[in-house]
Amino acid sequence: MKQQRGLVSLLSEYWAVAFLGVELVVFSILGAGFFSLNGLQIVLFYGTSLFLLATAETFVIVTGGVDLSVGYVMGFATIVSAKLVAAFARGGMAPTAAILVGILLTLLIGLGPGLLSGFLVGRLKVPPFLATFSTGGIVYGSSLLLIGGVAAKEVPILANEIGNSYLLYWARGRGLSLFLAPEVARGTRVVEIVPSMVVVTLLFVAAAAFVLKRSRFGQHAYAIGGNVDAAVRAGIDTKSHLLRIYMISSLFASLSGVIYMLEYVTGKADAGVSYLLDSIVAVVIGGASLYGGAGTVWGTVLGCLILSVLETGLRMSGVQTFDKFIAVGVILIFAVLIDQFFPELVHKED
Amino acid sequence: MGTDSAASIDGAPRASAVSVLGKNWALFFLLASVAVFSVTGSNFFTLANLQTILYSATVYLLLASAETFVIITGGIDLSVGYVKGLSSVVGAVVMRNLWYVQYGIQWPPAAAVAAGILVALLVSLACGLASGLLVSRYRVPPFIATLGVLGVAYGVTLHASDGGFPIGFLPPGLREVGNGFVYYHNPVTGLSRFFGPPEGTLDTQVRGLIRVFPNSLILVILFLLVLWYLLKHTRFGHHTYAIGGSMDAAVRAGINTRGHLLLIYVLSASLAGLAGVVDVFQTGTGNFTPMGANFELFAIAAVIIGGASLMGGKGRILASAVGVLLLQVLDNGLNLSGVESFYRYIATGVILIVAVVVDQLFPDLF
Repeated sequence: MKQQRGLVSLLSEYWAVAFLGVELVVFSILGAGFFSLNGLQIVLFYGTSLFLLATAETFVIVTGGVDLSVGYVMGFATIVSAKLVAAFARGGMAPTAAILVGILLTLLIGLGPGLLSGFLVGRLKVPPFLATFSTGGIVYGSSLLLIGGVAAKEVPILANEIGNSYLLYWARGRGLSLFLAPEVARGTRVVEIVPSMVVVTLLFVAAAAFVLKRSRFGQHAYAIGGNVDAAVRAGIDTKSHLLRIYMISSLFASLSGVIYMLEYVTGKADAGVSYLLDSIVAVVIGGASLYGGAGTVWGTVLGCLILSVLETGLRMSGVQTFDKFIAVGVILIFAVLIDQFFPELVHKED
Repeated sequence: MGTDSAASIDGAPRASAVSVLGKNWALFFLLASVAVFSVTGSNFFTLANLQTILYSATVYLLLASAETFVIITGGIDLSVGYVKGLSSVVGAVVMRNLWYVQYGIQWPPAAAVAAGILVALLVSLACGLASGLLVSRYRVPPFIATLGVLGVAYGVTLHASDGGFPIGFLPPGLREVGNGFVYYHNPVTGLSRFFGPPEGTLDTQVRGLIRVFPNSLILVILFLLVLWYLLKHTRFGHHTYAIGGSMDAAVRAGINTRGHLLLIYVLSASLAGLAGVVDVFQTGTGNFTPMGANFELFAIAAVIIGGASLMGGKGRILASAVGVLLLQVLDNGLNLSGVESFYRYIATGVILIVAVVVDQLFPDLF
């Protein structure tokens, strides 16, 4: 009896890992070229947007809220950064400086939507989904306004080189080189290892994981999500804490947009809209509760991997990727149902 | 409510004036914008343009009515736009496959269209059953339940439309009905006719025809009246308000809250499905709803502008309709005044926030 319960709780604790394993095995068999260095790197490369958006969402969901604006903020950031970088480059700045300054400014501007949502949620007690929903509408309109039907032109080619570079290159006879592709004769195979943008993404995700798990800021986020009244009585300034949570969410969404800009060298208002559902689902798969108080960044990463592998695997196996939306919707519903009926199964006490 | 009774006890006319203004600010805002745009927009205050506004409001009026019922119960339905897209695409696919030569069945157009409408409505009803069951029986938060249904509906829509292509090759006559008018008058020949251009109208005179009362408006008025009656004068409506006012009280008063909530979500999705059918008639194709179309943003904003509270227990069908018209008039009027249409999203978001914040800070005003 006791052993059986142990098995169930073991399975419930690691079902996501098991599911990811099953996915990898199935797609390695079905998808041509899936189980290869390139195949797996593609999963990560296309996963960068989702990783960052889901990390943003994790902070908010842990406090018992939800951020429906992440996709629009991401799109906004792609446009703002593309326009700024192009403008600086046209203004005579060196490409490196233009990109750097453009990105930093974008991230600063990207705090704006979070400031608005956080103010509405924290101070004015507007329900989070409504506050972020309205913010999303405003941000989307601003994106369309900025882009005015024309994508940003003349983004320096350096942006493309950064966005699509790899951490390591290996060529026969040249050994390993960092960041810069070795110059080789035509036809020589260069092995590219780990896209740089994946490295950047993982660094930020790791930082987020550290903040949420180890810092006082993170502990307070869990406290607010667990019980707001108790958090207030414990002396936590919930208003400004929520403000900062939504700003972090907005920052990560903007970061996702900046990376998108570097990868695709363009700005699109709807670059992130299809990730909204995915980002929430990834967080829920990762063991967070939509009622707040539970969830970890690493769980979210696992959820993102499951979804990214699903999408890339389906594509490589020749299945229409829109079936993914059905799967994602169903997973969301089931995850919430399980959360509802067996909360002790999913969330372990920290 | 509170202000109303206070005003009648004190007999203070100022309080009641404020309350009347507060309750109907959307209506006054609507009238004011019509007045302003009549001055600033060229061709704004013309029969043709005012009818265009009503015509393009059709889908939103249905979606906002759907959302009104859900919001009164204290819930939210984020799936309406995608259920509309699903219904539009599935209905069109059925019409096409039953009628178009290539598919070999070749039903008469009317039968194919009827079957398409039926299937479209049934599919939407199924979406409503899913979210209704999740919310009522399994107590999933409404926005999550409908977000899940949104994902499924979107996936199925893409599947049915081969990745988001409009569905064409539909039976003839759809657009004649959906885009038609009740009354036509040809100023050149002086002839008039109902439901079609008068005889002897030359191709060159078609643009000059005077058209009165879009067909789709008949449908909308009919539905608005039925839904208004349902909400205001039936037991179903009273129970809807009771549930939104206080779930516990509603349970204790013996209302079958589970069954009622299920019906509410089924009603909401069915109305969204109807909007999809209207869309097929208006465009002559089945159109999927792309991610970011924000139908639900406009529907929810219209309901909130109409004075409903997201906390539940408040909301009126006709006020939501005023909310829709306000947003449509702003959109159309800004366009005709030469302002880019992107402001629509921004304006809607801002109005939504203001309405919610005011509701939060001064709950008695509305």
